[in-house]
Amino acid sequence: MRDDDNVKIRDVARALREPVRVDASFNERVMRVVRELPKHSHLSFWRRWAMPRTITVRPLAASLAAASLVLFALVGLWHVSDDLDRAAKPIAKAIFPPKVAPEQHVQFVLVAPDAKKVAVVGDFNGWDPSHLGYQAQHRGGGVWAVTASVPIGHHRYSFVVDDSLWVADPTAPRVVDNDFGTTNSAIVVEEQR
Amino acid sequence: MEAVSDAVIVERVLRGNAEAFGSLVERYRDRYARYALHMLGNREDAEEALQDAFTRAYRSLARCDDPERFGAWLFRILVNRCRTLGARRGRRAKTFVFDETALLSASEDHPAEQGAWREEIDRALQRLRPEQREAFLLKYVEELGYDEMSRLTGVGVSALKMRVMRACDRLRELLSEVHSA
Repeated sequence: MRDDDNVKIRDVARALREPVRVDASFNERVMRVVRELPKHSHLSFWRRWAMPRTITVRPLAASLAAASLVLFALVGLWHVSDDLDRAAKPIAKAIFPPKVAPEQHVQFVLVAPDAKKVAVVGDFNGWDPSHLGYQAQHRGGGVWAVTASVPIGHHRYSFVVDDSLWVADPTAPRVVDNDFGTTNSAIVVEEQR
Repeated sequence: MEAVSDAVIVERVLRGNAEAFGSLVERYRDRYARYALHMLGNREDAEEALQDAFTRAYRSLARCDDPERFGAWLFRILVNRCRTLGARRGRRAKTFVFDETALLSASEDHPAEQGAWREEIDRALQRLRPEQREAFLLKYVEELGYDEMSRLTGVGVSALKMRVMRACDRLRELLSEVHSA
């Protein structure tokens, strides 16, 4: 019986959980290095909107702003018609044609006999294992494959097995992300001639 | 007074206030030093790994997707730095005594004393394989769940469970030897 062992793992863990104090000079050492690094100078557009912040608003100004918004919405609803919508769409399309990055179809194959689910993640799909276009199908014999569109260029990717295990493609060159230690695979997608 | 959240501090740093990063260093320094110290086995390497993790985190701060969870992100970097530094150290020299006889005799002087017992734990911990030590510390000392450990290390849950189990068995074995010696 493990509980009867002389050495109890939980006692060991408790001893190791004792706090460790680092000399206060450590902060200064880190900050000395940080000060020599380039300062961050801006927030990305998305981060500017996503960051939590405290905003101070006068009640009177907030009420006026809310009333203006309601008024604006009502006027907008009154004026905008389906005809206008139909007319505006082709004009907008002509002025701002949708940009389509050139892509190629790439087949990703992984042999994973015990897997119940395999997906491909990479910089081309935002590293999203739930992306519908990158779910591999079981082709029998433990072989999982998916053919997906990948933009022309250099990419990093990996397989995600059963939503938890990240597996680099054994047939592709590997690259290590130094900051996070994840080993990914590298792929170069070239334009078809 | 309510503490300023990590996200707010991260925002200040990203806006150019590098000094604000000091609050994050102060907040996580001791908490993560414990992991680095147990993982690497000596204070010098632990502080090097910790300092390296903080400076890397500062450089890559714009890539921290969830600033509210800055601590978890930093810990991931630290775990990785400890792996790298541990591997480098392993090639360079062994910090601890790995000879079984020497280990046992070293504990004979005052085996009953608390300090000596604690030293035996540290020695036994350093004798584990690095991947087993990492899994044990994350599970039992940092008290993470297996899913979180898997996300942190990139290792599957079943493999992590196996590592933890082997680490426990080996620790029992090593520390029992010391007790019975």
